[in-house]
Amino acid sequence: MRMVAPAMLVVVASTQIALSRTVELTAWKGGGFGMFATLDHAAYRGIDIVVDGPDRSEALEVPASIEVAVARAAACPTDGALRTVAESVLARERRYHRPVSRVTLTFWKADFDRATLRPSERPVRTFVYDAP
Amino acid sequence: MRSSALRELAVADDGSESTGPVAVDQAAAGRDAAPARLPFGPRDIALCLTAVALLLRPMGPWFVRPALLALPVLMILSPALLRSALAWGAIAVLIAVRIADDWPLADNHIYLLGYWTLAIALSLRAPDGEAALASSSRWLIGLAFVFAVLWKAVLSPDFLDGRFFRVTLLTDPRFGDAAQLIGGLSSQQLADNRKALEVLPSGAELLEPPTVDEPTRLRWLAMAATWGVLALESAVALTMLLPTTALRSAVRHITLLVFCGTTYLFAPVAGFGWLLLAMGAGQLDGKQVGLKRAYVAAFLVVIFYGEIPWADLALKAGRG
Repeated sequence: MRMVAPAMLVVVASTQIALSRTVELTAWKGGGFGMFATLDHAAYRGIDIVVDGPDRSEALEVPASIEVAVARAAACPTDGALRTVAESVLARERRYHRPVSRVTLTFWKADFDRATLRPSERPVRTFVYDAP
Repeated sequence: MRSSALRELAVADDGSESTGPVAVDQAAAGRDAAPARLPFGPRDIALCLTAVALLLRPMGPWFVRPALLALPVLMILSPALLRSALAWGAIAVLIAVRIADDWPLADNHIYLLGYWTLAIALSLRAPDGEAALASSSRWLIGLAFVFAVLWKAVLSPDFLDGRFFRVTLLTDPRFGDAAQLIGGLSSQQLADNRKALEVLPSGAELLEPPTVDEPTRLRWLAMAATWGVLALESAVALTMLLPTTALRSAVRHITLLVFCGTTYLFAPVAGFGWLLLAMGAGQLDGKQVGLKRAYVAAFLVVIFYGEIPWADLALKAGRG
C-alpha cells in the first residue's frame, strides 16, 4: 500500500507530459512538476477573441466574467475548453443585444530570442465557432 | 478531548517517544512543575505540520474549503483525529475534488499534497505505519523532483540556456527586488527592461525596438539560479531514491533542508516548502531529535521568508 500514492504521482505526471506534447497543456499545470522550468506559462500564452456579425468584426478584451474560462483554455487549449470560451462570449454579446454570427479564438504563445530576449507572439491554433 | 497536539509537541522533544501510554511521575511533575510528557513521535510532527500547512493556505471552492479548514483545526486540537486514517482520507478526497473542479489550474504542490495526505491515510492503517509513511515520503519527494529535473533538463527548450531565469528575473514582480539587490539593476533599468520584454501582437513590429539591458551581475545571477536549482533538485531526487544507509539518510535530510532554506528565500511558493518540510519530517525516527527540530525551525523560517519583504528592506537600507 505504501506505493499507491507514488504510483499515482507517476501516472498523473506522465499523463501531464503526454498532454503537454499533444494538446499544448502548459508545463506549469497538470501535476507534472514542470513549474519554474519554462517561460511557457500563463503570462506568455493567451487567447485572442474576435467576434463577427452583421456589420461588425471586432477584437474583444477578455471580459472579467469569462477570465477563468479563458485561463483554463490558455493553460490547455482543447476543443472543449475553447468551445466553452466561445459560447461564453456569444452568451455575453447576446445579453448586451450585440449581434454575433461567429466567434474566432486564436491561441498564442510568446517566444523569446535566445540572444536578445526579444519577445514575439506566435499563433498556435485557431478555433472558429459559428453561432447557432 | 485530550490535551492539544501542539502542547504535546512542545513537551516531547527528547527523542524518547514511545507509541504506548507513558507513565507520569506525578510527584516529580509536581516538584519541577514540568508539564506531563505524552507520546508525540516524528510521524505526529509530520502530520501536525501538514495540518498547519493546510491552514496557512486555504484552498478550493466553497464546497471543499470549509471542511479543508475545519478538519486540520480539529486535528491540531485532538491527537486522536490527527491519527485518524478516515480524517486524512477525507482530506485527500477533498483535495482531489478541488483539483478536478479547477482543472488544469491547480498548482503542482496541490497534487503532491493530495498524494501525501493519501499516503498518511494509508500509513495509519498499516501495521508498520511509521515505516510506511517514511517510505511513501521518500518516493513522493524523489519522484516529484525527478519530474521537475526532467522538465528542466530535457523537456523545456528555454531552461538550460538560461532564458527562463533571464526573463523571469526581469519580468516577474515577485523577483524584482532580488534582481535589483543581487543582480545590480537600478529601478529605472528594471522598468525599461520590462517595457522591452512586453509581448507585441502577432505581426506587430516596433520601428525602433528597445533592447534589454542585462548587467553582468544579472547574467551571472540568472546562470547561478539555472544551474543551482538544477543541481539541488537533482541532489534531492538522487538522495531520496537511492536505498537508505545511515550516511545517505543524513545527506537526504540535509539536502532537503538546504533546498528549502535556499529556494524559498526567492521562490514565492511557501506552500510547496511547508509541504516538503512536513514530508521530510515524516521520514524521521524517534532518535533524530536534532533533525526534528531543524524541520520545525525550517518550517518557521519559510513562513518568515514569505511574510518579511527582506529584499525590499535590504534595498531600502542600501539606498540609505
